[in-house]
Parts: sequence; structure tokens; C-alpha cells
Amino acid sequence: MNRSVWQTALYALGYTLILEVLLIAAIEFFPNFEEHIEIFSQMAGVAALKTIMIQLEEGGVVAYVTGQQFFKGCNTLGTAAAILFAVGAVAGEAHRGTLEIWLARPLSRNRILTERFVVGALAVVVPVFLTSATIPYLCDRIGEEVFLKPMMLCSIHQSAMLFAIYGVAFFFSTLGSHPTRIALILLFITTFEFAIYMIEQATYYSIFRWTDIEDFMRICDSGELNPKQLAVMFGIGLVFFAGSLVAFQRRVP
Amino acid sequence: MLPFDVELRAGEVTGLLGPNGSGKSTFLRMLTGLVRPDRGAASVDGARLRGDGTAVRRRCTYMPGETAMYGELSGAAHLAWFLRGRARAARRRATEIADDLGLPLRKRVRAYSHGMKRQLQLAAALGPDVAVRILDEPTEGLDPTKRAEVLALLAEEATAGATVLLSSHHLAEVDRACARLLFLSEGKLIADENTSALSDRARRLVRITWPDGTDAAALAPRLEALGAAEVHSRGAHASALLEGVEPRVFLAAVAQAGDVPTPTALAYGEHSLRDLYRDLYGVEGV
Repeated sequence: MNRSVWQTALYALGYTLILEVLLIAAIEFFPNFEEHIEIFSQMAGVAALKTIMIQLEEGGVVAYVTGQQFFKGCNTLGTAAAILFAVGAVAGEAHRGTLEIWLARPLSRNRILTERFVVGALAVVVPVFLTSATIPYLCDRIGEEVFLKPMMLCSIHQSAMLFAIYGVAFFFSTLGSHPTRIALILLFITTFEFAIYMIEQATYYSIFRWTDIEDFMRICDSGELNPKQLAVMFGIGLVFFAGSLVAFQRRVP
Repeated sequence: MLPFDVELRAGEVTGLLGPNGSGKSTFLRMLTGLVRPDRGAASVDGARLRGDGTAVRRRCTYMPGETAMYGELSGAAHLAWFLRGRARAARRRATEIADDLGLPLRKRVRAYSHGMKRQLQLAAALGPDVAVRILDEPTEGLDPTKRAEVLALLAEEATAGATVLLSSHHLAEVDRACARLLFLSEGKLIADENTSALSDRARRLVRITWPDGTDAAALAPRLEALGAAEVHSRGAHASALLEGVEPRVFLAAVAQAGDVPTPTALAYGEHSLRDLYRDLYGVEGV
């Protein structure tokens, strides 16, 4: 197997383990959380947090696990992973001076970029599915019932968001030669986006409004995905990937 | 790069020479599709350079000037990585060449010296069975013994019918290995001659030095009148390229000419190609 595939697989394994450990801890904590939910609700200061607490009280264990796994875990760790996996793709090669040997082989640029994109994208989304698949089992251990299908639907929805972020980061990686700088800028922007989710007036400008507990509860309750949201998120990822292919054609080693 | 036309012949090692920044690497990258020219056309072994140059890179091998590699990979894994998209036989041959060069293929590349990395890249470039090999400074960073070994390998390739184009900024190193030399300066092809013709020109070069304060440029027309085909001057020095005139006859004429000051030093017949480039083209650094 290709060296970059091995390397990405290793990073993806680390990211999966962190997500899983966080998930296990969160689910194990659920009985305690449920018992003291009123106290937690009273402690919630900002309006957005109060809304989340109401959703958790009403949604029970499903709201709690989607909040923990998707809204908290994947929106933060998954976003970071999407950015970090993407920025190394081209900018990382340029930064360490290996871009020329990478391009000197008798392989088309479209092929090598597509391979890199697909491997990275899988590394970002597969851990979401893998860890989410363990939710029914983990919940069963604490006497709660959560079904696999809604968790998989939520994983698809979450993956679309991560795919969009990955696509944008990949595009900037194709243009640049400083992966750390690109990663820091994008991480700052996404952290800012996550932070404004909690601000009442600014919350509507947060991209994470599309992957919050309300969205996941809607998917779980209806058993259906939101095709419009999915199309937009996957579309953004694909448009930026197409842009990467165009930019990469003229990339100088 | 400024426009020029050049055709490389099979069975010949062609040296691309020029000082740093003269455009050697850019030209090689353009030939292999790594850098796109604004205009112009190139073809390698019948494949026209189009798009990202994949068709061209299938018909040639390219050894980049960069030595940055994936330190975590072993030499053998690197060869496999370099040769992805090539026939299996290419890997076998590259491994043989690397073994012959004494490279420890099981070791990770991070333990390799600069010269060993260059040799590994060279092994990868010589592995595939292609008609054209394009090598960016293949002898750079090698000790004299390895350098000679590498140049001998390239000469073998040319004898077997391959077209070999290599760049270097050390003329003295490659003039014996190359049958033809292309000389670039500031992106411009300033000389394209076979090595023996260039050596002959170097032998016909006469350098004259006058006392300090003499304006050699003012004497140039007089030297031309005495039989010099080309005169290049700098301060109190002039270099005259003779055409059809024996150096001794020319120097005797200079000594006897009453309107030419008496030289303080004369040199002929011992110039290298390096002197030729410096004196005729005013290019230092090769």
C-alpha cells in the first residue's frame, strides 16, 4: 500500500480512538447526568446553552448521545482532523520539498490528487461511522436503548459537514506551501464559528447550526435525512475539490 | 526562459550547463511537464508535451534536483514509490543499480547521506526501460569516485542507445562525459555545440594581458585586423578567438605591431572550456 495511505490510516486510527474514548466516557456518565439534569439546566448561563439543555431534557438519551458524539465530538475533533488531514496533502509535500518527486512519477496530476483526496476524506468520515456504530452497544450497557439506523443517518449528515470542511481545507492546501499556517487560519475560523454558536445574536452565522442537536434529533425522529442540507454540504466539498484539481494542474513544484 | 530550438540525439549524453539561476532546472522541469511553458512545444520520444506531461513522463525518467525524501521509508520502499506506474522490471533493475552503488536499501532514508539520496534517485531514474533520461545535477554532492561511477553509468546508457540529458554547473566534471553541451545563461541558450568543437575553440583562444591602465577594448579592432575572429575584452585583458590563423603567427603579428602596446602576459593552447565560457560569454560560475 502507498505510504500516504498507511500514514493517513494511522492518524485516522488515533482520531477514531479519541472519539471512541470520549464517547465511552460520555455514555458512562449519562445516568449521573440524567439524575442531575435539572441542576445542570439551572447552571446553564447563556441562552444557547439553555436551549441545548431543554433539548437534552426532552430528547433523553438520544439527544444526549447525538450531542456528545456529533455536536461536540465530531464538530470539534472531526473538524480539526478534516483540516489537519487536508493541509498536509499538497502544502505538506511542498513544505518538506517532496512535491517535485511526488509529481515526477508517470502518473497524472488528477489521479494523484484524487487518490490523496479520497484517502483523506475516508480518514475523516470513516471514524465517524465506526464510533457511531458502537453507540447502541454502549447505551445498552447502561440500560438505555438507542438504534443503529438513526445513528448511521446522523453519521451521514455529520460526514457531509466534515466533507465540506475537508474540501475547503484541501483546496487551500493545493494553493499553499505552509501547512501549519493554513491549518492555524482554518482552525481559528472554525473555532470562531463554533464559538459564535453560543452567542444568541450571532448563532445564525455559525456553520454548526447545520450539525447541532436540533438537526440530529430531527433526523432521529423522522428517520430521514435532509436532502437539501446534504446536497449543499457535499456540494461545497465537491466544488472545492474541483477547484483543487484545476489549481493543481498548474502547481509548480 | 527565452525561446530556443534544440533537438537531442539518441545515443548521446548532452550536458546542460550554466551557473546557478541560469534556467537549467526550469528547462528540465518544462520538458517533463512539471512546469508549464507559456508557449512553445516539446516532444519526448514521439510524445508531445501536453497538459500535465504524463505522456512524456511515461516515455522518459526524470531525476529531480531536490533531495528531500520521505525519511521514514526504507531505500527499497522509496524505489517502489518512485517507480509506481512503471513496469515491475524497472524496480528489479533499479534495485540492482542501487546494490551496485552500494546503497543500504533496507535502511531508512533518514539515515542516508546527501550523496546516498542522490544515488538512490539515480537508481530510480535508470531503472525503467525508456529511451530518454533527464537528470538534474546527477553528480551533485557525490565524491569524485562516485561521480566518475555515475558518469560511467550514464555513458553506458548512451552507448545502449538512450538519450541522456543532464544538467550541471560544474563544467570540468561533465565535459568528458558529454558529447554535446548546451550552455544556458539567464534563461537563454548561448551555446549548443559538440564537446570536441568547443574544446577546439578553447584551444584557439589566446589571452593577452597588457600593463595596468591599458584599455583592451580600444585595442579590439586592431586585434581583429591582425587575424582574430572574435575579441572579448575586460580591463587590460583581451581574449581573441582565432579562425584560420596559427596562434604563434597571430602573437608574432601582435608583438610586431607598432600601435599595440607590448603585452605583459600571453596564454594560448591551455584554456579549458570554463575559460572559454568566461572569456567569450562573460559567464562566471561554471
